[in-house]
Amino acid sequence: MTFYDIIFYLFAAITLISALFVVSTRNIVYSAFYLLFTFFGVAGIYVLLGADFIAVVQIMVYVGGILILLLFGVMLTNKITNVEIRTGTVQLLPAAIGIGIFMGAVVAVMIWTEWKLEPAQIPLTTTKDIGHLLITDYVLIFELLGILLLIALIGAASIARRDQE
Amino acid sequence: MPQNNYEYFLLMPQIIIAVGIVLSVLIEITTKKSEQILPWFSIAMFFGTAFYSVFNINQNFVLFSGMIEVGGKPAIFNFIFNIGAALVVLSSIDYLKKYGTYYGEYYILIQSSVLGMMVMSGAKDILMIFMGLELMSICFYVLAGINRKKLSANEASMKYFLLGAFATGFIVYGIALLYGATGTTSIQNLVENFVTYSSNIIFVLGFVFFLIGFSFKIAAVPFHMWVPDVYQGSATTVTSLMSTTGKAAAFSVLIIVLTAVFTFNAPNVFRPYFATISALSMLFGSIVAISQTNLKRMLAYSSISHAGYMAIGLAAGNMFSVAGIIFYLAAYAFMNIGAFTIISIVEGEDDSRTDFDSFSGLNDKSPVLAATMALFMFALAGIPPLAGFFGKYYVFIAAIQSKLTWLAILGVLSSVISVYFYIRVVVVMYFREASEDFKINISPYSLIAVVIAAFFILVFGILPDTLMNVILSALP
Amino acid sequence: MSSIPMEYYLILSAFMFSVGVAGVLIRRNAIVVFMCIELMLNSANLSLVTFSSYLGNPIGQVFVFFVMTVAAAEAAVGLAIIIAIFRNKKTVNIDEINIFKW
Repeated sequence: MTFYDIIFYLFAAITLISALFVVSTRNIVYSAFYLLFTFFGVAGIYVLLGADFIAVVQIMVYVGGILILLLFGVMLTNKITNVEIRTGTVQLLPAAIGIGIFMGAVVAVMIWTEWKLEPAQIPLTTTKDIGHLLITDYVLIFELLGILLLIALIGAASIARRDQE
Repeated sequence: MPQNNYEYFLLMPQIIIAVGIVLSVLIEITTKKSEQILPWFSIAMFFGTAFYSVFNINQNFVLFSGMIEVGGKPAIFNFIFNIGAALVVLSSIDYLKKYGTYYGEYYILIQSSVLGMMVMSGAKDILMIFMGLELMSICFYVLAGINRKKLSANEASMKYFLLGAFATGFIVYGIALLYGATGTTSIQNLVENFVTYSSNIIFVLGFVFFLIGFSFKIAAVPFHMWVPDVYQGSATTVTSLMSTTGKAAAFSVLIIVLTAVFTFNAPNVFRPYFATISALSMLFGSIVAISQTNLKRMLAYSSISHAGYMAIGLAAGNMFSVAGIIFYLAAYAFMNIGAFTIISIVEGEDDSRTDFDSFSGLNDKSPVLAATMALFMFALAGIPPLAGFFGKYYVFIAAIQSKLTWLAILGVLSSVISVYFYIRVVVVMYFREASEDFKINISPYSLIAVVIAAFFILVFGILPDTLMNVILSALP
Repeated sequence: MSSIPMEYYLILSAFMFSVGVAGVLIRRNAIVVFMCIELMLNSANLSLVTFSSYLGNPIGQVFVFFVMTVAAAEAAVGLAIIIAIFRNKKTVNIDEINIFKW
């Protein structure tokens, strides 16, 4: 077992265990914090896979953006001081059975498939390739992304704002 | 990346809308009169784009290094999206006033959702499909809850958002597996090697995830749980947009990814999937719609069953069935927008008067509304010689050609069941006394939208070959 | 590159995806359901990066970039919707809103 292997198992364990806690814990704030560890674990695995740019973006966008937004949501919709922030679960058993079968099937497919792929040479940096693709082949999608962000901004503001009387 | 500047010219429909969105934002910011300007600006833009697309239907090219297709099939879809959206905007002008508040964002969001649909229908790359889908969906999530003071609109918006994002999760995972199995995201490659890939279990798994995600978007059973509440809770004009053009966009994507099956007669490995969801949707939608007392909810279940009829075409999987689906989508867009517009005229200020009782004796109050509503109901039921009949007819013929006679028979059976609840609306309007006394303020703009929709239904119904020939000539 | 075979990454991703789907189906709070959807998107991203780095082409990573941006936009809209509903109803438990009612 090499050093890389140990790191992989470590990050995989962090990711999976905290993902399980996100789903199972009854306190929303805890869920949000476990989600933080999941995001970090996934970012670590991205680094192992040689995707440095994506790993950094993962931390910046997910941890720095989405998670903060989620925490804001939790804080705004619950009065932390006096109201309990617990959430229940529903339909536990049927869902668990269904998901078990589903997961078994997907994992079995992954194992049985004979992947004809060898790990490719890890490039020193992927940022240049991604940037190049973004403004050549995928420039149209990149432009659409701009419109999408504008619309998300307008939409979120128009739904969440209070009416001035 | 464009090879030459001519590509920008060919991409004009999408560019018009994209520039229009930015201009609309500027109009909204700078002038106080945007309430009067924006709707007409949007309508002009939509009509311009629609006619530009139709007149350039023969300019069929793939642009931006294999990213987007213009002309041909996408042009017909652009026509459906833009005319549909124009009618919705027309019917919204006075409808929004009923709510007492003016939302400038409303028109901007409709424009952006149309841009998303146009990107979806022309996509030649899976990433393009994803981006168009998200642009459309995010606009719809917001539009569903645009009347933020009303709890039912909030709930509709949240339900739509959570299940839509859930579907997005499936679609992204499916795309990941497709990418792993093929090593590229180009649809050209997917179409050419479809037969080889069909024996790859990862590819099939990814494709099934992708199809599950899109089954949410077309509102097929068993992925329909959001439909009734969202269609009922959203503003009526928004519902008419989501249920027609949104469905058309999702179907356009399914047609694109299954091009190999339709055009090159590749074996349709996903036929059992489509046959199942189509049979379930038709029967479930028709049977549950019978017991509804709210007209919007009834049309939501009818929308589920229409998704089932259209999915018959996907299960059949031949060239004729694609033409049938496109014809059906065009007809369905006008029938449903017409019906919802009439509901929005009759509807009271706080979502009241959408149930059957409010429509009783409509003929005495407004013969025009009653007559056009009857026309739309007959068309939805599929009574000849209206457009809805030929939509179903072409799809059923395609199913019989592909030896799916049992599915066609189920479709006919379900149509017969559905006649009951559509005709019930007509009976209530003509043969029952008005139960409550209220005055209907018929907005002239909405009435124009209704008349245009009725006109298209009659034209498509009496001369179905004209549209069918255009569609068939646009397909490769 | 480590000696970890590609399947391990994919299985990890499949597990995460299943956990996310399970969470969406069993949890009642809208914010937690949204977190579970983020888990699903993260697992899909993990698969994409794995394929991208084993296939040696960067398209997968470009797509991950797009997915992340879209996820951020969705989060903004989703939280706005949740705040709007909370303002009117004072709860975000979707059980009381009957999300899976037929």
